[in-house]
Amino acid sequence: MKPFTYERAGSPAEAAAAAARRPEAKFIAGGTNLLDLMKLQIETPAHLIDVNGLKLDTIEPTQEGGLRIGALVRNTDLAADERVRRDYGVLSRALLAGASGQLRNRATTAGNLLQRTRCPYFYDTNMACNKRRPGSGCSAIGGINRQHAVVGASEACIATHPSDMAVAMRVLDASIETVKPQGATRTISIAELHRLPGDTPNVETVLEAGELITAVTLPRPVGGSQQYRKVRDRASYAFALVSVAAIVQPDGSGRVALGGVAHKPWRLDAADAEMPRGAKAVAGKLFADAKPTEHNAFKLPLAERALASVLADARG
Amino acid sequence: MSRYEINGHLFAAEPKPGQCLRTFLRDLEVFGVKKGCDAGDCGACTVWIDGKPFHSCLVPAFRAEGRKVTTIEGLASSGEMHPVQKAFHDAQAFQCGYCAAGMVMTVASMGANQKADLPHALKGNLCRCTGYRSITDALNGKCNIESDVAGKACGASLPNPFTDDILTGKARYTMDVAMPGMLHLKVLRSPHAHARIVGIDRTAALAVPGVVAVYTWEDVPRRLYSTALHEDHLVDPDDTYMLDNVARFAGQRVAAVVAESEGAAEAGCRAIHVEYEVLPAVFDPVEAMEPGAPLLHDKDVLTKEGNVYCDLKGEIGNIARGFEEAHAIHELTYSTSRVQHVHLETHGSIAWRGEDNRWHVRTSSQGPFAAQKKLCYLMGLKARDLHVFTERVGGGFGGKQEMISEDLVLFAAMKLGRPVKWEWTREDEFLGGTTRHQMTTHVKLGARKDGTLTAMDVRVVSNTGAYGNHGSETLAAAMGSPIAAYRCDNKRGAGYAVYTNMVPGGGFRGYGASQTTFAIECAIDELARLLAIDPMEMRRRNVVRPGDNIESIWQEPSDASFGSYGILECLEIVERELAKGNGVAKPGGDHWAEGTGVALAMLECGPPTEHRSGAEMRLLADGTYHLAVGSSEMGNGITTAHKQMAAAVLGVRATDIAIINADTDRTPYDTGTFASTGTVVAGKAVHIAAEAMRDDILAFASRHTGMDPVQCRLENDAVVCGDKRIPLDALHAAGAKTDHHFAVSRKAYLSPRTIAFNVQGVRLAVHRVTGEIRILHSVHAADIGRPINPMQCRGQLDGAVAMGYGWALTENMVHEAGHMVNPQLRNYRIPAYADTPHTDIFFADTVDSIGPLGAKSQGECGINPVAPAVANALADATGIRFAHLPFTPDRIFAELAEKP
Ligand SMILES: Cc1cc2nc3c(=O)[nH]c(=O)nc-3n(C[C@H](O)[C@H](O)[C@H](O)COP(=O)(O)OP(=O)(O)OC[C@H]3O[C@@H](n4cnc5c(N)ncnc54)[C@H](O)[C@@H]3O)c2cc1C
Ligand code: SF4
Ligand code: FES
Ligand code: FES
Repeated sequence: MKPFTYERAGSPAEAAAAAARRPEAKFIAGGTNLLDLMKLQIETPAHLIDVNGLKLDTIEPTQEGGLRIGALVRNTDLAADERVRRDYGVLSRALLAGASGQLRNRATTAGNLLQRTRCPYFYDTNMACNKRRPGSGCSAIGGINRQHAVVGASEACIATHPSDMAVAMRVLDASIETVKPQGATRTISIAELHRLPGDTPNVETVLEAGELITAVTLPRPVGGSQQYRKVRDRASYAFALVSVAAIVQPDGSGRVALGGVAHKPWRLDAADAEMPRGAKAVAGKLFADAKPTEHNAFKLPLAERALASVLADARG
Repeated sequence: MSRYEINGHLFAAEPKPGQCLRTFLRDLEVFGVKKGCDAGDCGACTVWIDGKPFHSCLVPAFRAEGRKVTTIEGLASSGEMHPVQKAFHDAQAFQCGYCAAGMVMTVASMGANQKADLPHALKGNLCRCTGYRSITDALNGKCNIESDVAGKACGASLPNPFTDDILTGKARYTMDVAMPGMLHLKVLRSPHAHARIVGIDRTAALAVPGVVAVYTWEDVPRRLYSTALHEDHLVDPDDTYMLDNVARFAGQRVAAVVAESEGAAEAGCRAIHVEYEVLPAVFDPVEAMEPGAPLLHDKDVLTKEGNVYCDLKGEIGNIARGFEEAHAIHELTYSTSRVQHVHLETHGSIAWRGEDNRWHVRTSSQGPFAAQKKLCYLMGLKARDLHVFTERVGGGFGGKQEMISEDLVLFAAMKLGRPVKWEWTREDEFLGGTTRHQMTTHVKLGARKDGTLTAMDVRVVSNTGAYGNHGSETLAAAMGSPIAAYRCDNKRGAGYAVYTNMVPGGGFRGYGASQTTFAIECAIDELARLLAIDPMEMRRRNVVRPGDNIESIWQEPSDASFGSYGILECLEIVERELAKGNGVAKPGGDHWAEGTGVALAMLECGPPTEHRSGAEMRLLADGTYHLAVGSSEMGNGITTAHKQMAAAVLGVRATDIAIINADTDRTPYDTGTFASTGTVVAGKAVHIAAEAMRDDILAFASRHTGMDPVQCRLENDAVVCGDKRIPLDALHAAGAKTDHHFAVSRKAYLSPRTIAFNVQGVRLAVHRVTGEIRILHSVHAADIGRPINPMQCRGQLDGAVAMGYGWALTENMVHEAGHMVNPQLRNYRIPAYADTPHTDIFFADTVDSIGPLGAKSQGECGINPVAPAVANALADATGIRFAHLPFTPDRIFAELAEKP
């Protein structure tokens, strides 16, 4: 591992300011993603800013009737929270569909949103990868890309975002609160947080250098039947081939976001509008611009069928 | 200095920058913290921080500062085992024991809710040996062990003798030792599938602080050898150099760096500059056989067949006539995937010069004696100057029937005069270890209306990868027992093991027979379907019987012979159990299709090539015994079984027999624990050594007392001569006076080889939408003779069947142009708890007349019928024949999607 220096930040603003001072700095939360990448020399930060002591680990009600989840709330605690289980079932289910207990005990809300792709070429430093080494090319295009994106991808990168939690957050219309190095705060909707790869797949979010996530807020509960379905290669744990987060109201209206198909959780207003007309109509909209490869074309019918099965379950 | 509280003790220490808690703890000699992946996948490193479990490999060490860290060593309080340790003890919830520390730490932290949802709660802990059944037993408070009664040791479910050490973290696996002045070795692996090394610049690597030496092909002895371990080295091709100037697969070692720390060695590897001339590569064995394909080897091993390293052909009867007589013919090409053993303990060894001025190699091997011979050959040493041994070994499954870590550490230690250690990473395993041979099997079977087989024609193409290793032996096995399992007058086979620029194949539980069993057992079902005969009946009608010639495609007589015969009983058990059902219904909804399938497998107990073993026994001054056997223990339970066998002969308790094993200094020679020989060869040596011990004691007692030998007998801890009872310690003392040593030694050799069978039955449901498969009922019957230790035999089968499910459903090494795309446990998926169905295991009631004490081999062949049984059940459920492993959801789904 490359040597690095380390500091513990005292407050969110201080953390952000510290990060701005050192261009090669990274925040470390649970470390379950970052330490792994550092061991493999894929991330090589020269300076680590530990954000664990920032007291960002509480879940509180908001004035609007929603929930404010601190950036450092552990995935275990979030999934187990009474209010989350009752009002935001899709989130709790998505979290439990993710990593193992030992990992969820460490993994944090912000870290989970910002975890890097599981594209195998991203992990193999012998191979070209625009995300790891901009301009080197993309080995997945024309390579083994069964797990890769079918929609929203670019000529530069076809990776998917691996988080289960983010897909649920997307269907719940969460927003992200941050603080910037100069101390200014802002709110970013989850729809905007993650970018599509375009020409710069190495830039994954709209966060600026040193910008720290402090919380994620959920709007008032919307009720409905909340489902999370993850199709994967084995039952115990594996990143999703396709996942479906859906909220279905008694009148058949609702919303849906897909995981495992794009560089970010995939949700479209046009597709939500088709919910009463069933899975085929919804999938038609979600995948209107799909460009699957030979190896991952199966994801289109698979997602549609998984959605059909979710809708059937939601109707009871 | 930062302060750390570990198991109640305070340490002042400073972690290295970026060090994870796992290696930090191990640097402090807290060796109960293990490594299976170093990436959060396996759970072997689980420790508690302030009472909560974490994967210590993903926790930065500095984050534990000022917190309470608890490891397996700290779980027992005031000498009393924690209730979970006790439960693991009573259920014997481990085999090699390597996962146990992490598993116990996880389970001990569980609340009631988690215990009620084990599929979720055990997500983060992998076990490769047990199939998780005994772990479930531990959680349910089940006791699997029986008491150790003098004279009744054989046939009793006795615990592993190292249980307490394993469960408290005291057991020392290969890497669990510290030595002053230890250096660390790492290798740089080739990024190219085929390339000539034009130049290596080591300047920058040598400049890395801490780097001591860099070795390349120019430094090592230029001697050809094979990494495969067998008694007779001539069965494997000498086509490998320790380090070579040509890389023939992506992952081949190119250079070795030795440094003061692992980190420095790794940095050194990255700093080496290698200039390659990239050569054309070939990955598919069929293409590799074509004229004009790039040639892999230009050395002596090259035959006129180009890349065909070995071919085997034969015919009995007349195959053309056989097909003429057939009323139905099935013909299809089947293929199996490349998978790896994933013993949770990776390869690794440590070499040093002892105070005795000899060289010592501590290693994780299934064959320390065979490794010793190879090392002596490579390094020009005399056998008496080299000591090779194992302590606890964390799983093998054939992966450690290979000398792939010992050579470099010994070489470096001899150059540098300091201890050198090389611990493999999981990525090293996937890139540079061996795999099951990928085979493509074309099968054509013919049968008459009544189901009688008239012709079997099998063509196997085995991808042996860049080096021959076990290529010819696995091919012979592929052309052997799966075909010999059926009586048929006309059989023909052709097999080719072909060099390609892929990672080399090696020995793997099932050893070549697994692949052909998959193809033939699927084909038998298809043929039965064509003839509208029940698949079970089809097998009953055609399976080989006592009195038949046991032959595959060669007429030469074989030394395989029925010491007992239990296949019909196995078929009956599985048929009965499947018919009876287990009450598990397929999940609701009309998306699930249900089907049932069976398959059988035959095993010749032991290799057709040479194999031998020895055992030494002594009566000790305190009246107990000491047994030394060369055979390795890697979780197969062989030390327990050997103790039981000796105890049975001597009429004592198994605990009255101390044992050491697998040590070239302290035990007699043993070829190695592989090829299903632990019970039938090493066990036979133990059996006859124990008989010799008994005879020696009785003869001495008769001389000593003047009684006729027939009036002397052993009775537990004494010898009884007429009406005189002499405790064994007293007898020993009497012997000492006359210089009688009470020490015996015996050798065993394997011939004839008896035959074992396994039958697997599966009922499953497959989801038409997602392709997901759920095993609803899994039944296994084994004809393994008399089980020496029924619990252990069941455990071996549990593990083998679970591994079979992995091969069938979730495991696959994905390669693209020779590069492995998924070299992490996260993406190469061995079954976790939630993926492993419970299997009901039954034994045919047989007692073997060839194997020692009526026993036959049992650890290996349980895996073979699993994948074809799953395939047959899938075909039953869907009407589609899936002929290519593995059956991952996307493949199933893709085929199903075509259907309405
Ligand atoms: C074996 C394994 C299996 C897994 N399986 C799944 C799965 O099935 N589904 C799934 O969704 N996930 C899975 N994960 C991923 C896991 O959920 C993530 O590793 C975890 O959520 C990351 O959280 P963390 O707090 O440890 O992040 P860290 O590793 O600490 O950080 C991740 C990134 O976020 C940045 N960061 C952290 N906090 C902040 C902040 N407050 N503001 C700005 N930037 C920040 C860091 O700089 C870093 O770049 C798996 C992981 C492993 C190792
Ligand atoms: S898909 Fe993206 S992450 Fe994967 S290799 Fe291409 S650029 Fe890299
Ligand atoms: S070594 Fe830590 S999880 Fe495998
Ligand atoms: S006992 Fe679990 S890995 Fe060997």
